[in-house]
Amino acid sequence: MSPPSRRWFEEIEVGEEYESPGRTVTEADIVIFAGLSGDYNILHTDAEHMKSSIFGERIAHGLLGLAIQSGLFTRTGIPYATLGVGTLRWKFKGPIKIGDTIRLRARVSAKKESDTPDRGVVTVDRQVLNQRDEVVQEGETELVVERRPTR
Amino acid sequence: MAGPPQFYFEDVVLHGVLDTPAMTITEAHVGIYAGLSHDLPARSDQVPELLPLCLTPGLGWRVNQPPLAVLAFMGFDWEVLQPVRVGDTIHSRSRTAVKRSMREGGVIVEERQVINQRGEVVQKGRFTFLVAKRPTDAAPTG
Repeated sequence: MSPPSRRWFEEIEVGEEYESPGRTVTEADIVIFAGLSGDYNILHTDAEHMKSSIFGERIAHGLLGLAIQSGLFTRTGIPYATLGVGTLRWKFKGPIKIGDTIRLRARVSAKKESDTPDRGVVTVDRQVLNQRDEVVQEGETELVVERRPTR
Repeated sequence: MAGPPQFYFEDVVLHGVLDTPAMTITEAHVGIYAGLSHDLPARSDQVPELLPLCLTPGLGWRVNQPPLAVLAFMGFDWEVLQPVRVGDTIHSRSRTAVKRSMREGGVIVEERQVINQRGEVVQKGRFTFLVAKRPTDAAPTG
C-alpha cells in the first residue's frame, strides 16, 4: 500500500481556492466539546437561560467552530504535507447554533520561504460559512509545510 | 432573583495576572478531539496544535474566581512556539492587557500563554472578549 499522497510546499500555488463539504453542528458536538475543554459557559450549556439571550438558544463554542473548520480543511482535497500550524488570526463574526451546517471556504494568500531549508510557510485565508452563506468566523492561518524531499 | 456569580467588566483588574491549575494531556484528549473535529495531528508524536488552544478557556474555569461574564468571544491572535506531546502537563497564564468600557459592556483583551511542565511557553496569543457590565440588581462578587 502506498502512503497517502500529500502536497509539498512547492506544489501549492498562491490563489488556489478550496471549498469543504458541509458539517452539521449538533447538540452532541457542543456537549462533547464542553466536556473535553471544561468550558461550561452558560452560552453553551444552559438552554433555559439562553432562551432570553440575544441568541435565543445555546450557541457553539467559538473554538469548537475553529476546530471543526480545521478538520474540514483536511477534507477539501489532497492534504498538505503540513508540519504544523504557525500562527492564527481569527475573528468570530456570528453564532453557530445547533443544527447549523457550516463549511469552509479557503484561499492561499501567500507563500514564503523559511529559514529552515526543508520547509516553507503557506498563508491560508479562511471563511466559515453557514447554510445561509453568512460568514460566522474568518481568519488567517500560517501553516508550516514540508518541501519535497531531495534524494 | 440573582443569577449565579459572574465576574463582570468592573471586576476585571487591568494588568492582573491569573495562573490556572495544570492538566496532563492524554491520548484520550487527542482521540476525543480528533473524533469531534477530524482535526488530526500533523505528526503522530504531537497533539493537534489547536487542542491546547481549545483547552485554555476551560483551564480558566478552575481558578478561584467566578467565570467572566462573556457576552461574545470576538477573536484571537495565536502563535504556536513549540510542540505539545501526549503526557505533557500544561497550564495557562493570562494577563489583562486592555480594558475598554463601551456603552453596552466592555472589551477585555487578555494576553495568554500555555506553559508546559518545564516552564516553557509552548503557545501564546491574545484573546478579545466583550464582557457584560454588572447589572444594577446583581450582588457584588468576590
